Amino acid sequence: MRDKIIYALVIASAALLFRDISHIANLPGERMQGDAFKIIFFHVPVAFTALAACGVSLIASILFLITRKFLFDAVAVSVIEVGLAFLAANLITGSIWGRVIWGIWWTWDARLTSALICWVLYASYLMLRRSIDDPTQRATFAAVFAIFCFIDVPIVIFSIKWWRTQHPQPVFWGEGSFPSDWAPFFWFNVLAMLLMGAALTLLRLRDEESQREIESLRRQAHAF
Amino acid sequence: MLAPLLAQVSPQDISLEIERIHRNWEFMWRGLIAAWVVLAVYVLLMVSRQRKLKKEIERLRVMIHKEAR
Repeated sequence: MRDKIIYALVIASAALLFRDISHIANLPGERMQGDAFKIIFFHVPVAFTALAACGVSLIASILFLITRKFLFDAVAVSVIEVGLAFLAANLITGSIWGRVIWGIWWTWDARLTSALICWVLYASYLMLRRSIDDPTQRATFAAVFAIFCFIDVPIVIFSIKWWRTQHPQPVFWGEGSFPSDWAPFFWFNVLAMLLMGAALTLLRLRDEESQREIESLRRQAHAF
Repeated sequence: MLAPLLAQVSPQDISLEIERIHRNWEFMWRGLIAAWVVLAVYVLLMVSRQRKLKKEIERLRVMIHKEAR
């Protein structure tokens, strides 16, 4: 059943992305930035997916601490790892856009720095998990740390409002603007990336289940 | 109406503008390809890890089966 859901999510996501990519390539260039502006069609949807993953990890971690069900721990670690991949894609695409528009690959501006800190925090979460052998202790410490990591997420989102940044203002909820006929492609790409994120999380969840099975088999092997 | 403006444009301006458009186009594709490469590398890593985990499960099952006998 899960395999069918994964295939359905991947097919839906790929269909949306392939449909959009031809439309996006044929859109006229933005007045000031030219075609480089079109990076936004991927840069922002992957950011949406990464931050949504952080939100899901927060909920799953809280639920683990309340219920002590390992399913929530597995969901948290899966979604965080997938979110990290999406956040890496966000940072890299942003850097490429910065190179052509600003003339620099990176600047220590509030948005970029907070996003990089977010990536480092969640990468530390994965490292923390590797350093603890006992499953219950690992899940508890990881859940508390995931809740702590989430503190950075609102800072990433609102940094461009709270501080004067080199990063552009938000196009949908700030001073920026976005052509209305371009918006459907953008939102379909957001949906496609969210579906892709969900599919990857389900795949990663399978790894986590295998890992738990290995731990259980190892305990059995030690018992002999 | 555009004629006076166009008269001020030198061939060098035109070549610079063509170069800028070409550069922007190239960087747009670099951005899109980078996003896909990151996600593709992650999927490959996940698939390879899944294979290793399956092998490990199989190895442990065989070991437990032998021990049980």
